[in-house]
Amino acid sequence: MNFFPESNSSIALEIDNLFWIITGVVGIATVITLFLFVYPMITRKKKRTKIERYMVDFTHKHRIWLYTGMFLLLMGDLYILVKEHSIWQRVEQELPEPDFKIAIVGKQWMWEIIYPGPDGKLYTDDDVSAINNLHLPVNRVIHMDLKALDVIHSVFLPQSRFKQDVLPGRTITRWIKLNKEGKFDITCAEICGLGHSMMRGNLFVESEEEWKDSMDKIYGIKK
Amino acid sequence: MNTSINKKPTLRDIPQARLGVWILIAGEFVIFGGLIVAYLLYRFRYPEWAEMASHTNIVLGATNTFVLLTSSYFVVKAHDAAIKKDKNKITLYIGLTILSALIFLVVKITEYSQKIHHGFTFSGKELVEQGKHIESTYWGFYFLMTGLHAFHVIVGAIVLFIVMMGARKGKNYQRIEVAGLYWHMVDLIWIFLFPLLYIAN
Amino acid sequence: MTEHKKTGFLKRFFFSLDHKDIGFQYLLTAMFMAAFGGFFVYVFRYNLAFGPDDIPLYGNLAAKEYNQLVTNHGAIMIFWVGMPMVLAVLGNFLIPIMIGTDDMAFPLLNKISYWTFLLSCIVLLSGFLMPTGAFGGGWTMYPPLSVSDFGYNNPNTTFKANFFTGNTFFLMAVALEFISMLMGGINFIVTTLNKRAKGLSLMKLPIVVWMINIASLLFMFSVGPLIAGTFMLLMDILVGTGFFDAYRGGDPILWQHLFWFFGHPEVYVLLLPSLGVVGEIFSTFSRKPFFGYKMVIFLVLIAGILSLVVWAHHQFVSGIDPGAANIFSLLTIIISIPFAGMVLAYLGTLWRGDIKFTVPMMFALGMLASFTFFGGFTGLHLGSNVFDIYAHDTYFVIAHFHYTLFPSVILGGFAAIYYWYPKFSGRKLNKTLGKIHFWGTFIFFNSIFIPLFWLGLQGQHRRIFDYSNWDKLLMQPNHIMARQIATVSLIFLIITQFIFLFNFFKSLYKGKVAEKNPWKSNTLEWQASSPPGHGNFALYPAVYRWPYDYNHPDRDTDFLPQNEK
Ligand code: HEM
Ligand SMILES: [Cu+2]
Ligand SMILES: [Cu+2]
Repeated sequence: MNFFPESNSSIALEIDNLFWIITGVVGIATVITLFLFVYPMITRKKKRTKIERYMVDFTHKHRIWLYTGMFLLLMGDLYILVKEHSIWQRVEQELPEPDFKIAIVGKQWMWEIIYPGPDGKLYTDDDVSAINNLHLPVNRVIHMDLKALDVIHSVFLPQSRFKQDVLPGRTITRWIKLNKEGKFDITCAEICGLGHSMMRGNLFVESEEEWKDSMDKIYGIKK
Repeated sequence: MNTSINKKPTLRDIPQARLGVWILIAGEFVIFGGLIVAYLLYRFRYPEWAEMASHTNIVLGATNTFVLLTSSYFVVKAHDAAIKKDKNKITLYIGLTILSALIFLVVKITEYSQKIHHGFTFSGKELVEQGKHIESTYWGFYFLMTGLHAFHVIVGAIVLFIVMMGARKGKNYQRIEVAGLYWHMVDLIWIFLFPLLYIAN
Repeated sequence: MTEHKKTGFLKRFFFSLDHKDIGFQYLLTAMFMAAFGGFFVYVFRYNLAFGPDDIPLYGNLAAKEYNQLVTNHGAIMIFWVGMPMVLAVLGNFLIPIMIGTDDMAFPLLNKISYWTFLLSCIVLLSGFLMPTGAFGGGWTMYPPLSVSDFGYNNPNTTFKANFFTGNTFFLMAVALEFISMLMGGINFIVTTLNKRAKGLSLMKLPIVVWMINIASLLFMFSVGPLIAGTFMLLMDILVGTGFFDAYRGGDPILWQHLFWFFGHPEVYVLLLPSLGVVGEIFSTFSRKPFFGYKMVIFLVLIAGILSLVVWAHHQFVSGIDPGAANIFSLLTIIISIPFAGMVLAYLGTLWRGDIKFTVPMMFALGMLASFTFFGGFTGLHLGSNVFDIYAHDTYFVIAHFHYTLFPSVILGGFAAIYYWYPKFSGRKLNKTLGKIHFWGTFIFFNSIFIPLFWLGLQGQHRRIFDYSNWDKLLMQPNHIMARQIATVSLIFLIITQFIFLFNFFKSLYKGKVAEKNPWKSNTLEWQASSPPGHGNFALYPAVYRWPYDYNHPDRDTDFLPQNEK
């Protein structure tokens, strides 16, 4: 059984990996806690003296176990934090130089994709907009200006493990780099009204030549 | 072995009603605190709001501050009178407090009608039509914050009235102190709102 | 006692000021609302598994109705089942009697609080009768969608048209509910501080009383800004202010901050009283002192304070500053430490215990196990801001928070009902039916939500009426099967609850008569008669010890009530 859908970016693999790291930490904690849970239940019939049962923390050495347990989890926590920190920085806090720039506008209930047009610059007169179909080149750094028109939507690319809420009146720029060709999904992950479940787009990741071809078609240069 | 014999439930020495009102006051402060923080966030973001704030009427606002401050003084006097169980003084001072509340409300209504007359309404519709979108939201805060406060003034006045009627019948003198506490809170909130909303800059 | 029998049921139900009666009113109201919340979830889960047509007992489901049902399911379960169950019912029924007094500090305020609550239920449900239909923008009410379906206030609609909408009624109901719970909370705290029996110092209070009070405080400090926010949102809807309208300088994210500043502490408000119940039950049925009493209280206070500064972990990808997200991630993951300490202390109570598997004990064990192993531990996954990029708003989150809320509200609530039923009704519940009820609830609960974890990892996002648009991603045979397993389990879960209802109401009249202290427990409520009469105690107890002296070495019996020297 696979746990994650196929992935199309290196960041996606890192995020999946992080999931397993956390699950590992949690797994160890689970084993210890499960033992503490089950052991008293299976030994419950054992004859014990009252002194053994009258176990009050402030006199009893078992108190140390409490601190130990908390300390162990703290170590696990720190391990998780160390492992994740650099990924977050790269994904959300840094913007590598773009090879190509587009804008995605969420509106009820579709994705409007704005391509820069033949001049390669966004927000000029020759920009071309398309609905729901996003064509991107493989292995290139893409900048996306993310916006919404009416209510909050959320750009969710499941195969890239990418998600960003988009808000009316605001532009958020994020980057993405895809390493696998194919057809993937664009979904909306924030409830946006009646048509929320119909807000589906397609992400086409294409090789350089194919992509040039699709762009020419979108720009009307080639039929 | 069972050695528990008390005919009545025990009470600690904490004045119950006062404690309750203190907690209520803490709760009210968090509510107004939330509004004030939200307001300040916007206020710092939008320099345009300073200009809007200059359209408030500082004279009327200051009058109201003065009225509320004196009313707090009357409440303190009423409390003193309650300790002495002096019904006439209680009626006098709580009466004066309620009168202050009424003056406050009249001034407030004058202010509101001025504002509305100039097109500064709750929804700021006219400003929006002039293209002053961001400015229009200032008036939302102005009316919501002062309106919510005025609502507290009304409630406080009603409570004081009820307490006064009780005291005149010679009942529940201790309630005057509690109602007074609440009144001080209403006063204090205004002390926060006045500079925030009225004084530009 | 005698007085009671004479007053008629209706009079007693509606006008009694007795804290036990008010607690019972809250309980019945919460059960009534749970029926709605449960029915809604049945309808929309049925749709997810078997399609929207011809849903038994409902008919055809439209996308709009799906949103409405999801929204109202969430809100009802949290505000109208969870809050009354763990705060109002437990607080009202337990606090006065466990601290050995006759009633609340302000009985009239208590009654007003119940009436306000009832009013809020009516307002919420009448939202369904509005011309626009009930509110369907998610229980989190994010503007601008909560202002209107199109995200803005149409300047040409009248106040009246804006007023009679599901949105307005939903918000008003929420605000009323908050106010009702605030009044209740003031009452709990004042009662606990002022009316404790002679000798009952704070450090001798039963843990559940502590927990209810801390939860009330936490609620009080976190809900204020959201009450303010609710007024602002109402004004946006009704008169067209622009508090949350981005085109007029408003900020939709402000609402999210106000909401989650309350929303995160809120889940602890639901959790803590329930943990308190589990603590009482563990100690009683392990016949052992509660392990780490002071430590647990200390850790709860730490967790409570921390819970006020972790709210933005619900907003990692909502557009907040990514640098700040790191801090919230750190704090969120760190908050696991006090909880780990608490859970370990609870397990310390079981250690070497003379464990008795009574029905309340089974529910308590089930509560702690499912909360820890699935609820708490997946919290670490979601606390990591990186993994949350992917998991946010997927079924992974849904499964995670149901693994915290379902144990808190439902399993903990049942544990409390089974444990204190003999006290409040004077009769016993049927044990066998209780055990069947436990195993049914526990097994089906897990088989609902474990598949949902997996679906979440597969990328199934939430609040979606119909997944058929994602044929490759989410409509493979095993996805469909996982959804069907969850839904069928849900149907069995609901059927199981009828066993409980039968047991509950039948035992009220026909159950075996319960003695004063059936579980041989130490706390004061077991010293009153079952059920306690008006005023609770004939003679008010004085307290000499903490409530957990089980198996005291100097005594012959294995328990030692608080009021014995
Ligand atoms: C009885 C078993 C329950 C089942 C099977 C269940 C199932 C679900 C499902 C599948 C959703 C997500 C719907 C969607 O996103 O499309 C949901 C939402 C929710 N549930 Fe439950 N639930 C149950 C009980 C509870 C309880 C006891 C609580 C709280 C005390 C609760 C609180 C919520 C909340 C807050 C939401 C979010 C609503 C929203 O998205 O606006 N649920 N539930
Ligand atoms: Cu959407
Ligand atoms: Cu949270």
